[in-house]
Amino acid sequence: MQTLHVDVDTWLHRLSPRVKLLVLTACGVLLFLTQSIVLLACANIVGAAVYLRSGLPIAEALKRLRPILISIAVFSIFAALVGPLNAAIVTALRLVALALFAATVTATTSMAAFIDEITVLAMPLEKLGLLKAADIGLAIGLVVRFVPEILDRYRAIREAHQARGIKIRLATTLAPLIILTLRDADNIAAAIDARGIRRQ
Amino acid sequence: MDIRFDNAGVDYGPRTALFPLSLALQERRIGVIGLNGSGKTTFARLINGLVKPTMGRVTVDGLDTVAEAAKVLGKVGYIFQSPQNQIILPIVRDDIAFGLKARGYDKARIETAVDSILDRFGVGHLGSRRAHELSGGELQMAALCSVLVTGPDILILDEPTNQLDLKNRALVQRTIMGLPESVIVISHDLPLLDDFERVLVFDQGRLLADAPAAEAIARYRELAA
Repeated sequence: MQTLHVDVDTWLHRLSPRVKLLVLTACGVLLFLTQSIVLLACANIVGAAVYLRSGLPIAEALKRLRPILISIAVFSIFAALVGPLNAAIVTALRLVALALFAATVTATTSMAAFIDEITVLAMPLEKLGLLKAADIGLAIGLVVRFVPEILDRYRAIREAHQARGIKIRLATTLAPLIILTLRDADNIAAAIDARGIRRQ
Repeated sequence: MDIRFDNAGVDYGPRTALFPLSLALQERRIGVIGLNGSGKTTFARLINGLVKPTMGRVTVDGLDTVAEAAKVLGKVGYIFQSPQNQIILPIVRDDIAFGLKARGYDKARIETAVDSILDRFGVGHLGSRRAHELSGGELQMAALCSVLVTGPDILILDEPTNQLDLKNRALVQRTIMGLPESVIVISHDLPLLDDFERVLVFDQGRLLADAPAAEAIARYRELAA
C-alpha cells in the first residue's frame, strides 16, 4: 500500500485533481498533434520543470522515471533503425514529455483524491449504462497503487538471487515476479470483496 | 451470532479442501486451529461467503452465504493474514474511509465514523500515517479499524499475531479480547486462544475436535507431535 504521492504542500498539490487530469489529457492530445521537434523539446523542458517542482528530490525523481525512460529509449532506437530518424526523435520526445506530465500528476495527487476524481469523470459513462464509475476509479487507483509494490517485489527477488549467489536473469526474475504479483492481486481482490467495496 | 454449517463442504476439482460438516457456532470467542493446509482458512472464508460451498449450505444469522452474499459480507468482517494486502489506500485515514465511501455515506458522516473508530482503539495518531511505514501491530490495528468501521457483527481474524513481536502481539491480543463483536480467530498462536470459549481443530479438511480451549489445544498438540 505504498504510494507514489509526495506528501508536501506545493501549488501543484493544491491544484484540483480534476484540473490536473484534464490538463494531462489535453497535453496528451496536443503532443500527438504536432510533429515539430522544437515544440516537443519545449514541452519536455516545461514537463521537466513542472515535475521537479512536485517536491521530489532530483535523484528520486529520476529514479522513478528510469524504467519508463529506458523503455522509451529502447523503443526509439528500434524505431530509428527501421524508420526515419526524425520520426523516432519525435516519438521519443512525445513519450518523454507525456511521462513527465503524468509523473507530475501522480506525485502531486493523493490516491484517494485520484480515485474520487476518476469516479466522477467516469459518471457520464455510468449514466449511459456502460460501466460502474466506482469500478473504474478503483481499477485505475489500484494500478497506481501496484507500481511501487511490484518494484518492491522485484527488489526482494533480486536480493534473494544475490543472497544465494545466483546471477540475475530476466527469466529467473520475471516468473516469480508475475506469480507474486498475481497472488497479491488475488489477495487484494478478496479484501475488496470482504470489505464490501465493489458491491455497493 | 448464529452461524450454521449444514453439511457444507468445499471441493476444488478432485481435491477436497473441506469435507462436509454440520455445526452451529454461537459463542463470542471461537478459535480455529490445525496444521497448514488443514482447511482452516477455507472454513473461515465459507462464513463470510468469500468461498462458496460446493455442497450443503452455510448461514449467518439466517442469511444464506450464497443467495444473500452481500448482506452476509456486511455482517461478517474479515481480517486477512497479511493486513498490508487488505489496506488499499496508502494513508490510514483514507483507507478507513474507503469502505464507507463505497457505501455512499456523506463526507461528514464518514469523518465522524473514522474519528470514532480511531478513538475507540486509541490509535488516532495513526490516521495521517502512511500504511507502509507502520509496524506490524499498528498495521493490524489499521486493518481492524478499516473493517470494524463498517459495523460488522462478527469478525474473523486470520493469523492476527503472525510475525508480530511480543509487544505488538500483546496489543493485538488485548484488543481482540476487548472487542464487543463476536470473534473467530484462526491461529497457530495457541496461548492467544487460551481464554476462548470454543476451539475447533481441523486436520486434512476434517473437523477433528470441537471443544473448550484447553481440551482442543491438547488434542492439537497430540496431532502435531
